Amino acid sequence: MSTPTLTDIDVEVTVTDRPDPPPPRGSGPIARRRRRGRARRRTWRTSRFAYALIAPAVVFMVLVHLLPAIGGLILSFKNLNTFTFSQLYGAPWAGLQNYRAILFDGSNPLHSGFFGAVENTVVYTFWTVGLTLSGGLAVALLVKRPMRGQKVVRALMLTPWIVPSYVVAVLWGFMWQSDVGIVNKVLVDYTHVLSDRPVWLLGPHTMWAIIIPSVWRGLPFAMLIFLAGLQAMPKDLYDAAAIDGAGAFRRFRYITLPLMRPLIAIQLLFGVIYSAYQFAIPYVMLGSNPGPDADLMMTLIVRQSFSNNLFGFGAAASTLLMLGMLVWVAVWYRAFRRDLEATS
Amino acid sequence: MTAPSVAISARTRKRLIERGLDVLTWLVLLVMLSPVIWLVLSSLQTDGNLARGTYNVLHPTFTAFRDMWSTVEFSRYLVNSVIICTAAAALATAFASTAGYALARFRFRGARPFGFALIGTQLIPGSMFLLPVFLGFVWLGRHTPITLFDTRPGMILVYTAFFTPVAIYFLRSFFMAIPRELEDAALVDGCTPFGAFWRIVLPNALPGLVATFVYAFLFAWDELLFVASLTEHNAETLPIGMRNFIGNYSQDYGQLMAAGVVSTIPVMIAFFATQKWLVRGLQAGAVKG
Repeated sequence: MSTPTLTDIDVEVTVTDRPDPPPPRGSGPIARRRRRGRARRRTWRTSRFAYALIAPAVVFMVLVHLLPAIGGLILSFKNLNTFTFSQLYGAPWAGLQNYRAILFDGSNPLHSGFFGAVENTVVYTFWTVGLTLSGGLAVALLVKRPMRGQKVVRALMLTPWIVPSYVVAVLWGFMWQSDVGIVNKVLVDYTHVLSDRPVWLLGPHTMWAIIIPSVWRGLPFAMLIFLAGLQAMPKDLYDAAAIDGAGAFRRFRYITLPLMRPLIAIQLLFGVIYSAYQFAIPYVMLGSNPGPDADLMMTLIVRQSFSNNLFGFGAAASTLLMLGMLVWVAVWYRAFRRDLEATS
Repeated sequence: MTAPSVAISARTRKRLIERGLDVLTWLVLLVMLSPVIWLVLSSLQTDGNLARGTYNVLHPTFTAFRDMWSTVEFSRYLVNSVIICTAAAALATAFASTAGYALARFRFRGARPFGFALIGTQLIPGSMFLLPVFLGFVWLGRHTPITLFDTRPGMILVYTAFFTPVAIYFLRSFFMAIPRELEDAALVDGCTPFGAFWRIVLPNALPGLVATFVYAFLFAWDELLFVASLTEHNAETLPIGMRNFIGNYSQDYGQLMAAGVVSTIPVMIAFFATQKWLVRGLQAGAVKG
């Protein structure tokens, strides 16, 4: 997937260290206790060193991730808006009122806005991740073949992934322009595929106006990971299958895909999280309000929080979004648990 | 004349398919590159040409690249981005080098929870802790002499924390590839554990450190949500500069595209200069996991 995915991760944290050597045989409880004490001191010494090594990272994570996330959770139960903002955390408690308004209050405009954004985010995530992963796998299969200029092709193929998201959004926003944009120029004026000019940045097409650039930017990364998986595959398996008369498609279906499952699983996990939290592309391309057809969770939350000062709503919606992702992680874990065990 | 086609041998057919796939590969590459090519081409057009849709690709002009610096104070954004992202990526790499080493080498109580916590940080939507971080900055500004809101140190602090977890996992795979025997030998020679890490492991992990730095740098360069809320002038970075082009000068597509090119060049250089190590790091982590 695209950027801040931890795609290069396993979920099982394997820590390597040699097991302590078996203690020499001694006699009596005192010797035993002394030995145990020594062993404990030694583990404590190496542990202490390990703790010192992770300490800076832990401090930063507590200060910038953990405490603020707890703060966000608290704010979701507060009635924090323009009038109470000066009180900060002293704002009046609202109990579950923010959540009730979002989830059940049909007369509240925030309610419909929230469910519209949920639907859009699901659609956006489904297509972005689906197209990125399938496209990435297809291109990986293409560039894995030996060919002239292979190195150059592989390197240049990564280019879109390096272009910053906000440049992607600005560039595609220009390309999608109805009258002067290159997309309509090509589709209508040069090739006559379409007879009239679609409006991309308004109405139902907006969703595709943000999905396509997202796929374009994320696909090279997926390709890179899949390519590594393809290169690590045992070649004799394919040779054996070919001798047995399995065609290219069957080899892909019954050898490549099963062996790639762990890689697909990890890409899927972080791809969905990353897409569900997408902000920069719709925000820069379409502005702080991308319209009902392309308003994603993050653009909705940021707009309601910082333009309309509905901070309590924003915090509650953020919490719900995170709960949604926790559910996704649980579902994902049930579906792919076996693949993860197979790799580690 | 059609007779020979039936007689095409299996080998010729296979070769034809292979050549066809070669052509397809180049076509896919062209499609993937065309938006970038278009970015560069349109940055070399006059604003008038772009607004009318009358491209004149054969007569490039650098006016957009000349004017963009005065239309918006673009150099300010660029300098801020370079300073903030370099410092944050360097700090994240430093913290990740010790933590990644600990995860790669030692068994200690809490290693597993720590690993899960690293992934957990990725599960928190930015919007959830953005406001509390903002409030924390404001509180510090009021009650202590520490000013973090709208300052470079403030953004460096936030970005360092953001990209440290990712960097830890990234570096861990590099450390795991370094043979233990190197450290054992150093320890036998009387090195302290930290000495072994500092003098033996780190120099051997240099490619990994560089790759991690660039990886974190790419992420920091891309960040928009936090810099939009935690700065208002002094520490604003490139994405804010780009947005100002859209806000105030939406017709100047030429300058907008030129600004896009300028924003992309530093990361392109960083990436292609270290591509070999970076790609190895990404792929090693993915496959060996």
